[in-house]
Amino acid sequence: MGIKTVERYGDTLAEKLYIPAIAKGLAVTFGHFAKNIANPTSIPTKQYPLEQPQDITDRYRGRHRLTKRSDDSVACVACFMCATACPADCIFIEATERTDGVDEKMPAKFNIDLLECIYCGYCVEACPCDAIRMDTGIFSVIGKKREDFIITKEELLATPGAFGKENSLAH
Amino acid sequence: MFSVEGTIIAVVVTTLLSLGSVPVLVWMERRVAAFIQDRLGPNRSHIYGFRIGGLVQSLADMLKLLVKEEFYPSHIKFKFYYLLAPAIVFGASYLTFAVIPYSNTLLSENGHSVVQLLPIELGILWFVALAGLSVYGIILAGWSSHNKYGILGSLRATAQVISYEVAMGLAIVSMLLTYGTIYLNGMVEYQSGLLFGFLPSWGIFMQPLAAIIFIITAFAETNRAPFDVAEGESEIVAGFHTEYSAMKFALFFMGEYVAMAASSALIVTMFFGGYNLPWVEGQLLLDNPKTVFASIGIILAPLVIGLIIWMKKSNRIKGINEPQRQKETKILTIILASFLIAAEFSIIMLLGVEQSAQSISYVATAVQIGTFVVKVFMMNFVFIWVRWTLPRFRYDQIQSLGWNILLPLAIANVIITAIAVVLL
Repeated sequence: MGIKTVERYGDTLAEKLYIPAIAKGLAVTFGHFAKNIANPTSIPTKQYPLEQPQDITDRYRGRHRLTKRSDDSVACVACFMCATACPADCIFIEATERTDGVDEKMPAKFNIDLLECIYCGYCVEACPCDAIRMDTGIFSVIGKKREDFIITKEELLATPGAFGKENSLAH
Repeated sequence: MFSVEGTIIAVVVTTLLSLGSVPVLVWMERRVAAFIQDRLGPNRSHIYGFRIGGLVQSLADMLKLLVKEEFYPSHIKFKFYYLLAPAIVFGASYLTFAVIPYSNTLLSENGHSVVQLLPIELGILWFVALAGLSVYGIILAGWSSHNKYGILGSLRATAQVISYEVAMGLAIVSMLLTYGTIYLNGMVEYQSGLLFGFLPSWGIFMQPLAAIIFIITAFAETNRAPFDVAEGESEIVAGFHTEYSAMKFALFFMGEYVAMAASSALIVTMFFGGYNLPWVEGQLLLDNPKTVFASIGIILAPLVIGLIIWMKKSNRIKGINEPQRQKETKILTIILASFLIAAEFSIIMLLGVEQSAQSISYVATAVQIGTFVVKVFMMNFVFIWVRWTLPRFRYDQIQSLGWNILLPLAIANVIITAIAVVLL
């Protein structure tokens, strides 16, 4: 390897005078200003509540949902794997016996505290039944008090997936 | 005979240019900065759907600062000085406007009067005195707030003020040698002619070096980038106004913009022909009132129509239907169009009537004030434009710039000017 000589700037008279360099910089910024004032609609800024993001893919970790089996019953078997994997301790499951003969166990309550949740997706990876997913594409959850952010089993089941694959793939 | 009409007009213009322009300048600063950085800037706050390009945001900011809690840190020992400092900064910046002439002598029903806030001939000396005083407010603020960042900020302001004020004074001296007067109205009248037969004889063409030195030092004077070390928000929190909040902070904030407007007004007066239209002398306006009316009408129409077309094109989001903004555009278009029609109609009416000397004088004054305001806003734009282009100078770089570069250049310029004045 040879020695790379880095060219040094700032020694010529024009550079020491500063004025030509400042004029060049002013020309650059004025170019941007003129271009944008002539056509403000071309500025890439998204005006959010009116312009929604269009670049959310199926790998985006949005708000959770619980999937269903092909017979529209809950796919979750209340194994507590997600609650165990959760680093934020935000999943609260109460299990109960399942009497319809489809499976042995199901959740009576399945609450997620979205204020505690860090959206890491470990619950989705831990789930053996593909029962919990984060493919709703919801990135903004709104509530007026803390209790509004604890979402229940019914709400989680009611939200459809935003990218197809409606039902659990495990059953 | 002396009359007060000119002073009354000057009071109105001064208030509009200093206090009235603060919200506009804040808005301009934020939108220009945004456009320079390919962003949009504030454009969402509105009153019944009227956002006027985001200008309403300035009103919201003002309201917020007004209703904020008046908080006094408990460790402050001299509350009087602590409260005095923002008042000095703001008052000194505001009073700087007192000697700026806005037009030629006004001839009204009661006699002649100068269109100037204070009818005094101190001129540039008044500016130098008060501009120097406003730095004392900054120094006092940093010292009295008993805060290390504040002290550092005022220390920087002190070092800065002694390094640029000498060069600024010498640049002014060379302008005084050129114009032969300290009275700003005299300077503007000197600049109304032509240089070499084709250039307007503005200060910047006669004394380019003094103009550059004065503009650089004026940036330092107003504590704006690239010389805003006293505030230095990336290094010393907020510098001299770290401990200030609510309206006390707002006075510093407004003081900065008023000082910027005042510096712009002085730069325009000294180097850009003041209230003179380029290539048009004041007497020419008085002699040809009909031409003046006609040209106002001709210039006004494309400006307003262009603004309407631009608004229709820009006041929307691409691909999204927004009824609120469409309604705003529609109402503003109606207002602007009816204004244009009314203005053109009254100009045509006035063209047919023979005018008295007094009313011609009023029209000439209005044209000159308009010229001056446009020039001041262009200079304000330069202030903003430079702020969003150049990075901040380091504390020692400012001193070496002031002492090693600007001071020798200014002295050389004074000597050359003096020789030229004696020989010519």
